[in-house]
Amino acid sequence: MSGRMRSSNQVAIVGFAHSQVQRHAPRSLGALAVETGRRAVEDAGLRTADIDGFVTAALFPTSGAHAVEDGTSIVSAQWMAAHLGGADARYTANFDGVGALTGAVALAVNAVASGAADHVLMHRALHNPRGGRYHDNPMRTAPGPLQWTAPQGFFGPLQMIALTYQEYAQRYGATRESLAQVLVEARRNGSRIPWSYWYGRPLSAEEYLAAPFICDPICRYDCDIPVDGVATFVLTSAERAADLPHRPVYVAGYAGGLPPRRRVQAHWPLDDLQEAGGLLVRRLWERSGLAGPAEVDLPQVYDGFSPFVYLWLEALGYCQPGEAHRFVAAGGIDSGRPDALPALTSGGALGNGRMHGVPQMVECYLQLSGRAGDRQRGTPTTAVACHSSPHYGGAVAYTNTPF
Amino acid sequence: MTTSDTTEARTAGRAGEAAGTEPGSPRPRPVPVPDETSAPYWAAAARHELVIARCARCRMFTHPPDLTCPHCGSTDPGFTFEPVSGRGVVRSWTVVHQSFLPGFEVPFVLVDVELAEQPELRLIGRLLDGPGAGPRLGDPVTVAFEDVAADVAVPAFRLAVAA
Repeated sequence: MSGRMRSSNQVAIVGFAHSQVQRHAPRSLGALAVETGRRAVEDAGLRTADIDGFVTAALFPTSGAHAVEDGTSIVSAQWMAAHLGGADARYTANFDGVGALTGAVALAVNAVASGAADHVLMHRALHNPRGGRYHDNPMRTAPGPLQWTAPQGFFGPLQMIALTYQEYAQRYGATRESLAQVLVEARRNGSRIPWSYWYGRPLSAEEYLAAPFICDPICRYDCDIPVDGVATFVLTSAERAADLPHRPVYVAGYAGGLPPRRRVQAHWPLDDLQEAGGLLVRRLWERSGLAGPAEVDLPQVYDGFSPFVYLWLEALGYCQPGEAHRFVAAGGIDSGRPDALPALTSGGALGNGRMHGVPQMVECYLQLSGRAGDRQRGTPTTAVACHSSPHYGGAVAYTNTPF
Repeated sequence: MTTSDTTEARTAGRAGEAAGTEPGSPRPRPVPVPDETSAPYWAAAARHELVIARCARCRMFTHPPDLTCPHCGSTDPGFTFEPVSGRGVVRSWTVVHQSFLPGFEVPFVLVDVELAEQPELRLIGRLLDGPGAGPRLGDPVTVAFEDVAADVAVPAFRLAVAA
């Protein structure tokens, strides 16, 4: 089936809440999730008894040897449903994939549009375990998929993105000075967001350039910092949204990516990401009814690792393949300039902490609902939130003016 | 006893020994656990031979082998591991300064290699020419092997001498 989604602009975000983003929260992740969930319901002008759907993406995005325990290191939809209090959980679903938020939004939209649920609470809860480094793994044996990578020392997301970005940098002549501009932009915007881990702490290009490599050409500032944090959203039908206190932000459409080729685990060659990104974005325009990048006021690109910013700018069509690093170096996403593309105004993961796509979605919601406070950027009507890598993740288009 | 059990037993038997340890590293590197599918690959590696899974239906190589053939879609691909030249070119590389696994002395270089036999047939391994080797994209390499434990060798690469 092709063409625009039947549910386009039929389901809206009507409320939201965000916890403080901290290296280690003083309370359990579950307690933080419940509190943040109740605040979102209240923000939407609803009671917990109104919530009958629960969705999330519960992925614990670490290569470390950490236990996965519901309520402690992850929070599933079922856990939230059981603990929110007073809800009538008719529908619960967890998206199981790397492109966490696109999948969770899709579950929420589909549930409301189909009538499976009236009011869906969607959450994303991220945990940074105490003890040991986030990605460290003391394995002595490498069974299953790991046998093809770990015995030669290829392991973890930093080496993964280092190979992807090295291929980009060498092929297109990208420099570290350009990547520094991504970090300056992310941290400047993140420093203005009260719940951000980096609140009040911008980063200079000099500080970035002075950092040693972890996996050449990637340094620690290129990686989002592991945190404890929860964001929650309430979604309902456009019809019901009209009676609620805040301006609704409608989901115009979504599209997810798939890797085009069989690879060893965590091998993300540049060509795979570029190929999948092109296909994903064509689908996004088709499914959402947006004609293309020129119709998007606020394209929020994903930045869990800084090079993703280039790949998304190119996938969305703002730059030709291989040109985004020059675009960024020339101030193309510098939100201090009136003519720049507002692509990282959320501060992203690099400017908020490892919230796995949450900052992009939050920014789309806040700006389109007119709730961004002193960060409000005029009156945008359309936005896109990109999540994860183009070949595993996805993108969601939003509007406050149904078309 | 399956291949997997044998390997587990061998691995367990080495606990506490220095097998797989590089100089200066207190703990062993992770060793591969061959399974029903991969056993021929690791047996060949132990003999310092590189073999890659090939579909019996369409004759295309796949690494690692999948449950179906990613090229022709066969649900009965009958993969067999066949020798390859071990020659290829560097598609990407990184100098690892911080390893998240035990047993690796840093820095070391990883290379992402496209093998000569088929476009996009890629293998990731350590480059044994040292951390200052500084490969460039397109540099030719040839397979080499690291003996990491008794009867266990892991494919790696060396820069090829220009012809």
